Amino acid sequence: MSARSPVSVVVLVDERPEPLDGLYEEFSAPLRAAGVPHDFLFLIEPSRESLAAPLERLTASGAPVRRLLLAQAVPEGAMARLAAEQARYDTLLLMPAYRRVEAAALPLLAAEVAGGADVALACRDPRRDPGLNRLQARVFHGLVNRISPQRFVDMGSGVMALRRGVLSDLPLHGEFFRFLPVLAAREGFTIHEVPVRQHPADQRTRVYPAGTYIRRLVDLLGLFFLVRFTDRPLRFFGLVGSVLGLAGAVVLLLLFIQRLQGVGIANRPLLLLGLLLLVLGIQAVALGLVAEIIVHLGAPRRRAYRLREPTPPAPPPES
Amino acid sequence: MNAPRISVVVPLYNEEESVPPLVDAVRDALGPGNDWELVLVDDGSRDHTAEVAGQAADSDSRIRLLRLARNCGQTPAMQAGFDHAKGEIVVSMDGDLQNDPGDIPRLVARLEEGYDLVAGYRERRQDTVITRKIPSWIANRIIRRLTGVQIRDNGCSLKAYRREVLARMHLYSDMHRFIPAVAAATAGARITELPVRHHARRFGQSKYGLSRVAKVLADLLTIKMIRSFRERPLLLFAIGSLGAVLLGLGFTLAAIIAAAFFRPEKVSAVVFPGAALLWFELAGYLMLLGLIAETAVMEHRRDRAEPAPLARGDLR
Repeated sequence: MSARSPVSVVVLVDERPEPLDGLYEEFSAPLRAAGVPHDFLFLIEPSRESLAAPLERLTASGAPVRRLLLAQAVPEGAMARLAAEQARYDTLLLMPAYRRVEAAALPLLAAEVAGGADVALACRDPRRDPGLNRLQARVFHGLVNRISPQRFVDMGSGVMALRRGVLSDLPLHGEFFRFLPVLAAREGFTIHEVPVRQHPADQRTRVYPAGTYIRRLVDLLGLFFLVRFTDRPLRFFGLVGSVLGLAGAVVLLLLFIQRLQGVGIANRPLLLLGLLLLVLGIQAVALGLVAEIIVHLGAPRRRAYRLREPTPPAPPPES
Repeated sequence: MNAPRISVVVPLYNEEESVPPLVDAVRDALGPGNDWELVLVDDGSRDHTAEVAGQAADSDSRIRLLRLARNCGQTPAMQAGFDHAKGEIVVSMDGDLQNDPGDIPRLVARLEEGYDLVAGYRERRQDTVITRKIPSWIANRIIRRLTGVQIRDNGCSLKAYRREVLARMHLYSDMHRFIPAVAAATAGARITELPVRHHARRFGQSKYGLSRVAKVLADLLTIKMIRSFRERPLLLFAIGSLGAVLLGLGFTLAAIIAAAFFRPEKVSAVVFPGAALLWFELAGYLMLLGLIAETAVMEHRRDRAEPAPLARGDLR
């Protein structure tokens, strides 16, 4: 694939979008300057429909811009899958509808994929955010990197170039789009982090509502399970169940020994605790068995491997 | 080239030194004809295994290389080889030269006596006693006991299969250790054993350690469950639920007896009734889970995702 392979820039218009025509002007300029054939695809949430009007003017003036208005609000993973279906070119450049990195990053990312990477991730370096942002990012990446098969410095830029096939091979349901690099690394795709300059507009302090942090933690737990135990759920539930059940069994054994020594147990709350732990353990194992049945039944349709493929040849540029 | 009759599937992980002698040994064992193929599966090796195997594939049209995108583990690597094997008979073996390709013709001949799967067992095993032989001996006894499939060496990868059996088996997790049990459970395979040679590892290091024991036990529980209850999982949960009900009734009886005959200060109004409620709750929970499992099986059957069962021919 040549360094001038065409790219489809996909802009996900959902959270805090900025004026889209200005975004197009700013981010298309370096691609034009680098001679990278491209088009722009704006995927617009219904609540952001009013932002689409300026794009109409761009389209009328002959700019390579398409707009797709979604029928309903969907997570970014679903938007990305739609992008994979609708994009004109096989290399996609995903970005949010606000400025995270400087526009000069786009040709660099496109060149990285043209050079053989499956995913090229924009890594803001150096970070110029306030310390609080950097602290949050450090904690987040510290947790994710414990799960991920590959270490990442900055997964949060939301700007990346990738081959179309990557999106169709990944489970990007719910909020898992955030973890796309981890999931791609798990599937064996080649991922390069490309240092790019952080946009000045991205340097404000970000503090989210408490619910957002809780959702992130739940997502991380989901990611942990997905990465480690999807094919073998009983190992996870069995471990949890064994620990609980064993603790319960020890408590009950102690009570049993005391009963043999003549100590009554009919008024001992410890008996309830022991049984509770045992029952919880059994419940966890039983749940794992059901999960295992579901995995077993799905096995004929699913393969736990992916063959390494030669990089597909790029289509000829059309612009 | 016509489809080969025998496909030899060899998963490889960091075996760059083993590949050339392995290829030579397979060629020597199966002869100069074109009725066999060797499918080398590189499981995301970090050394030069893929390059060395690629050279072998380039030099001989009977040899093919599949490269997995990452290190997926032995089971997915083996499944990849099975999926891409073209022969009506498929032979699996390790890539570390501990199995002897010279045994392949004997395995195939035995298979053609009317079996669906011939499992090799290692005679005079060249492994350490404490970390390999004893855990293996214990694991094989447990596997035999729980699965009911009388294979003495489940850890030996050298096996021969009919393609129809492989089409009905879908390996995941670390199930390569239980292929005979899975084959018996999911395809009703006729299985036999044959002694095979075993050599000490010549190159590299073993990819397994004692840590696999807990994993084997969890997988074993899965196999046992699949073997016993794959068609009617509700029964498994109903049995568990019945046990919980009986325990709940036992504690209910204990609560009644304690209330009737013990002095009030010696009996809590909460402990025995609470214990009974816990068991009843578990009984209800297990029944609900059983219904979910049953629904999953029914949905799967509706999708008809599985091939039809193996037939043994007409009974006249």
